[in-house]
Amino acid sequence: MSGVVSYLVFFATMAAILAIVVLGLNLQWGYTGLFNGGVAAFFGAGAYVTMLLGGRPEPGQFGGFLLPFPVAIAGGILFAGLLAWFFGALTLKLRHDYLAIATFGVAVALESVARNAEWLTGGAKGLRGFPRPLEASIADNFLYGLFFLALVLAVLAAVYVGLERLVRSPYGRALRAIREDEEAARSLGKNPVRLRLQSFVIGSMIMGAAGGLYVAFYAFIGPQDLAPILTFQVWAMLIVGGAGNNRGAVLGAFLIWAAWTASGFALATFAPQAMQLYTGPIQYILIGSVIVGMLLWRPQGILPERIGQGRR
Amino acid sequence: MRRGISGIVAAAALAVLAQAGGAAAQQCSVNVGVVYPTSIDWGKPIAATALWVAEMMNEAGGVDGCKVETILRDDQNDAKVGVDAAKALVDVNKARLLIGTVASGITIPILTSVTVPAGTMQISCCSSTTRLTAMASEGALKGLWFRTFATSRVQASVAAMAAKDAGYKKVTVFYKNDDWGQDLGRLAVAAFRSSGIEVTASIAITDGQPSYRAEVTQALAGKADAVYLALYPKEGIAVVREWLSLGGTNKMIGANSLKSDDFKNTVGMQHLGNFVGTDTSTPRTDSAKGFVAAYTAKFGKPPAGPGLPNSFDAAAIALLAYHAAGKEATGAQIAAKVPMVTDPNGEKIVGDVEGFKKALALLKQGKPVSFQGATGALVFDKNGDVSAPAVIWTFAASAIAEKRYIPLEEVNAFIATLK
Repeated sequence: MSGVVSYLVFFATMAAILAIVVLGLNLQWGYTGLFNGGVAAFFGAGAYVTMLLGGRPEPGQFGGFLLPFPVAIAGGILFAGLLAWFFGALTLKLRHDYLAIATFGVAVALESVARNAEWLTGGAKGLRGFPRPLEASIADNFLYGLFFLALVLAVLAAVYVGLERLVRSPYGRALRAIREDEEAARSLGKNPVRLRLQSFVIGSMIMGAAGGLYVAFYAFIGPQDLAPILTFQVWAMLIVGGAGNNRGAVLGAFLIWAAWTASGFALATFAPQAMQLYTGPIQYILIGSVIVGMLLWRPQGILPERIGQGRR
Repeated sequence: MRRGISGIVAAAALAVLAQAGGAAAQQCSVNVGVVYPTSIDWGKPIAATALWVAEMMNEAGGVDGCKVETILRDDQNDAKVGVDAAKALVDVNKARLLIGTVASGITIPILTSVTVPAGTMQISCCSSTTRLTAMASEGALKGLWFRTFATSRVQASVAAMAAKDAGYKKVTVFYKNDDWGQDLGRLAVAAFRSSGIEVTASIAITDGQPSYRAEVTQALAGKADAVYLALYPKEGIAVVREWLSLGGTNKMIGANSLKSDDFKNTVGMQHLGNFVGTDTSTPRTDSAKGFVAAYTAKFGKPPAGPGLPNSFDAAAIALLAYHAAGKEATGAQIAAKVPMVTDPNGEKIVGDVEGFKKALALLKQGKPVSFQGATGALVFDKNGDVSAPAVIWTFAASAIAEKRYIPLEEVNAFIATLK
C-alpha cells in the first residue's frame, strides 16, 4: 500500500509541474490568443539555467555554481523571460499559425544548442547532480517526496492565484479584447503590441519556473527533455482541460498525465502476456483517441472559459 | 482484480506447461520490471529479446523456483514517461530488478530518482554515455547499476596493447576535442602510462581549424617514438600531414574512427606502413553464434538491429543473479550476486534453456558460473561496465586488413594488468 502512495506522490509531483507549464500556456493562448509552438524551449531554458546556477560543479564543465535553490530558479525564470522577450519582440507580429511555426523553430534551435554546446550544456550527456532544496535535512525518501510535492503544489497554487487575479483584472480584460479583436482593442486605446509581448513573457517565465522545478525533481536535464513531444503534451492538456480557464488548465494537466501514464500501467497489468510488446503503440493510439475525441465532441474543453462570471 | 487475471493467466500457463511435461509447478512469482522504448521500431526487438530470456528462464525452472513475471513498460523515448513507468514498477509492482533502458537521458533520471533511492538493481543493454561510468565511480549509483554495452575503454586499452607489442617507449596523444575524443584520449593516456609507456604530451585538436601547426610543433618537442590519434578522418588528415611534413614519426596508432578510405588515400599508403588501428569486434565465440542461431529460430529473422545481443545478456545475467540471491532478495543483494554469474573460473554455461537449467542448479549449490553470452563471456568492472573483444587492423593496398583478433578474455586480462 505504501508503495502505491509513494507512486502517487511521485505522479502528482510531475503532474503539478506540468500543470504549471499549462497555466503559462493558458495565459498566452487561452487569454491572449498567442499560439506558442515552442513551449519546450522556455521550459528548457528555465531548466538548464536553474541547473547551471544551482548544480554541482563538474570538471571541464561550465556552471555548477551551487547557488541556493531560490536564487537558481529565479535565474532560470529570468532567463526564460529574457528569451521570450527577445524572440517575442521578433515574432509576435506574426499571427496564429505563423507564430506557431516561428516559436516551434525557436524550440528546435534551442534543443540543437543544448545537444551541441558541450561546454555549456553538457551536450548529449546532459547535466546532472542537483542538490535538491533541503534534501540533507529530510533523510527519508518518502518524506522528502511529500515535501517536494508540497513545494511544487505551493508554486502551482501561487501561479494559479496570481493568474486568476491577473485575468480578472482590467488587464486580463484587455488581453481578452486583443484575443478577440485587436483593431477594436486598439481603438479603445490599448497597445496590443506591448500587451501581447507582456503576456508572452509572463507565460514563458511561468514555464521556466516549471523547468526549474523539473530539474530539482530529476536532478538531471538533457536535450531529450526539450523534444517537441513536451510541447504537444502541454497543448493536449490545455485543449482537453479548457483553454481560457485556469482551473481547466490544471485539471487538463492532471487528467492527461494520468491518462498518459495510467494507460501504460493498465496495459502492462491487464493485457495478456503475448500482447505486452504491442502495448507501447496501443498506448499512443489510446492517448491520440482521447485527444481527437475531445476535439470532436467538446472542443471548448472540460471546463470551458466563463466570461463575466465569478468575478471578485 | 489484477490478482484474479494474473492468476488465470498463470493457471493457463501452468496447464500448458504441465501438458508439455515442462517445469515443475511454480507457485510463487517474482516481478521484474522491463522499460524499453517498445513504440519505436528498433526498441521493440530489444524488448522482445529480454522477454524471450525470461520465457526461457521460466522454462528452466524460474528464479529460485518462482515464475518470472516480466512487466514491460514503454518509455516512448520520453524521460517523463520512462521515469514514471520505472517508479510504478518499483513502487506499485515491487520490482527489485529493473531492466532498461536505451536512451541515457532516460536511464540517468531513472537511476537518480527511482532505482538508486529505492535500492533496486538496474541493468541496461544500450545506454552508452560515459557519464554513467563517472557517476558509478563517484559511488552515486551504490553498485546497483550494470550495462552490457562496451565503453571506449576497450579501444584505449587495445591501443596500449598495440604500443607495447610494437615496443614503443614514448607516445604523443592527439584527441578530438569532443565528448568522444576527450574521453578516449583521457583513457588512452591512462592506459599507456599504466603499461609503462611515457606520454610526452596529450593535445586537443579542435576541428575546423585551418592549420594545426601550433599543436603539431608542441607535440614534436616531446620526441616521441609514436603518435596516438583519437581523431576523425577530417582532422586526422590535417594533423597527420603537418606532423609528417615537420618530421614526425610515421609510427601511428589510430582509433576505429580512422578506418576510412578518405584518410588512407589522402595521407597516402607510402606513409601508412607503420600505422595500426584499433576497434572493438563482435565476439567469435560459439555462444555468440549460438545466439544468432537461436534468435533466428525464435523470431524467424537474424538479429539485425542494434543492442539485441546486449539485451539478451543483460536480461540473462540479471535473472541468474536474482536466482542466486534468492526470491526474497533486495536489489543490492541481487547486484552482489552478479560476479557469481560472470565468474571466469566458474563452469561455462550457455544462454539456452538447458544452459539456464544447469546454471540454476549450480548457483543453487552456491557454485559460481561463467555465463557465455551473446556478446561473449562478459565481466563487469567496479563501475558496472563491460569490455568487448577487439581487433588490431592495418591499411592494406585494397582494403582494411585485420592484423590480430583479441578475444574478450585477453582484453579483460590486459585491462586487469593496467593500474
